[in-house]
Amino acid sequence: MAILAPLNLVNDLLLRLFSEPTVNFVIWPLIQVGLVIVITTGWVAYATYLERKISAFMQARLGPMRVGPWGLLQPIADGLKLLTKEDFIPENADRWIFFVAPYIAVVAAFVVMAVVPFGPDWAVITDVNIGVLFVLAVSSVGVLALILAGWSSNSKYALLGALRSSAQMVSYEVSMGLAIIGALIFARTLSLSGVVTAQASNSIWFFFYQPIGFFIFLISGIAENNRAPFDLPEAESELVAGFHTEYSGFRWSLFFMAEYAAMVVVTAVATTLYLGGWYFPLVYRLTEAHGWHNLYVAISVIVFLAKAGLLLYLYFWLRWTLPRFRYDQLMDLGWKWLLPAALINIVVTALGAGVIQGLDNQAGMRTIKSLASGLGLTASGKVIAIVFGFGNLFLTAGILSLINWRARDFNLKKQRRKIRLVDVPKGKPAVVPVTSE
Amino acid sequence: MPLVPVPKSTFAQKLKRFFMVDLLQGMAVTLGFNIGALTDKDAVAGKGIYTEQYPKVRPDVAPRFHGAPRLNMDPETHETLCIACNLCALACPEDCIDVIPMDVEVVVAGKPRRKKVLDEFIFDTSRCMFCALCQEACPTYCLELTQDFELATYSRAGFVWNREMLEQGRETVKYES
Repeated sequence: MAILAPLNLVNDLLLRLFSEPTVNFVIWPLIQVGLVIVITTGWVAYATYLERKISAFMQARLGPMRVGPWGLLQPIADGLKLLTKEDFIPENADRWIFFVAPYIAVVAAFVVMAVVPFGPDWAVITDVNIGVLFVLAVSSVGVLALILAGWSSNSKYALLGALRSSAQMVSYEVSMGLAIIGALIFARTLSLSGVVTAQASNSIWFFFYQPIGFFIFLISGIAENNRAPFDLPEAESELVAGFHTEYSGFRWSLFFMAEYAAMVVVTAVATTLYLGGWYFPLVYRLTEAHGWHNLYVAISVIVFLAKAGLLLYLYFWLRWTLPRFRYDQLMDLGWKWLLPAALINIVVTALGAGVIQGLDNQAGMRTIKSLASGLGLTASGKVIAIVFGFGNLFLTAGILSLINWRARDFNLKKQRRKIRLVDVPKGKPAVVPVTSE
Repeated sequence: MPLVPVPKSTFAQKLKRFFMVDLLQGMAVTLGFNIGALTDKDAVAGKGIYTEQYPKVRPDVAPRFHGAPRLNMDPETHETLCIACNLCALACPEDCIDVIPMDVEVVVAGKPRRKKVLDEFIFDTSRCMFCALCQEACPTYCLELTQDFELATYSRAGFVWNREMLEQGRETVKYES
């Protein structure tokens, strides 16, 4: 490949300067890290631009138009503005925690990028064999930053925002973690690259096996990122700006970056787990089979970014369509709908896998091709898995409505009405109003 | 607290709620606007972009809009069309026009005569309500309310326009597009 030939040249040059282990395990990873940081920062910056543009289009406006053609330099202007603004610290704030909190947020959001497979071979920084766990663990640290920021600000709005965000994140983290398990049953590995290769070698996206898991992951991902319609921690109408009320200038922009970076992370992980990651049909046959390895990797990276970009668009789309949830609705959705759905999903997926295994070698039927990478299924096995996946939609619907059909009975208003109606003729107030004697 | 009977939802309503039809409808609306904004950029009807790039692109005001006043001049001789008849000042319901005439000596048919011509024209735009009654009253089509709407100034005195401003128009910052 002519375009990417310089890569090999650079490799040769580096080999001349350093020993081979140094090049392979120090220099190239550092280059990868630098590239990923640059790409992620650019992606984050332009995600803000896209958000403003898309919101404008959805409201029949034009959005940023002044800085550069079509306002394309707006993120740079924003960044410069935020850098030159005063870094204000409230008098009674806990200074050290106030200083540190934004950095925790940014680090927690960016570190996850280390295990996200942007593509095959050299497009992934490190392939940790517990990648999914790493992602869940590190992205949860982001909550700590919000709590510290809210607490150290010494402001009632910031504290309320922090409390809300911690409660919200805790309740959605559970269903998020449980939703992933369904996909992992098919992938048989926790490595994110392994999940992608499992999908690639089966030539199917896990979305078809796991429609419910995908939706649960997406919804709880949006809630995890404190994005509308789940943006209660920074509800403008109630809490001024939530946990970052007292932040200004560069520290505020760090929180902002962390929010968008976390969004990029969730979309990337959702793509990896459910939408096949960098795998796209025919790309392999068109490039790698002809020996164009670097082109194959490059196209895979583009495919991955396109898929993640579509999910990111869904984020913006939902934000500018839906109004904010009430707090009890948020908790209701998390605990009464998503959590049971995630549990049902695990059970049904496990049952499906069991059925597939049981049917294998029965009456000349073959359902499992190999277990080399993931659960390699034959065509009939795939059909069974897909039937289980989409049938699960209806089963989950039934069970959820069974669980929740009397949920209104816990409604305080209804309880009060019942109490009131004891031994009282219909239509008359329970407490006789005090009349003048 | 009166008891309000809540109607039981029908099966069709439950189905609609379960498949989140309303949510999807809402998302279709926003997506429609997004696509509309990308495809037809200056559509007025339906799903285009409504906002204008004001200082760069001048907005189209309504045809009957009345804005900044102007004293028209004869396009050939560049002398004012105003004959100092004071009809505009009389027509003005807000008393915001002052026509200050002066007498000049002219020779008409060999005899010296005095003629009333315009010396100064004061138009107080801060009191004007842009009813254009002065424009209606003007017999020579001299005074006219144009479609220019940029009347803001930094002081109260700036709202009082003299003859020069009325004839030349006021200087405003022009933005390059």
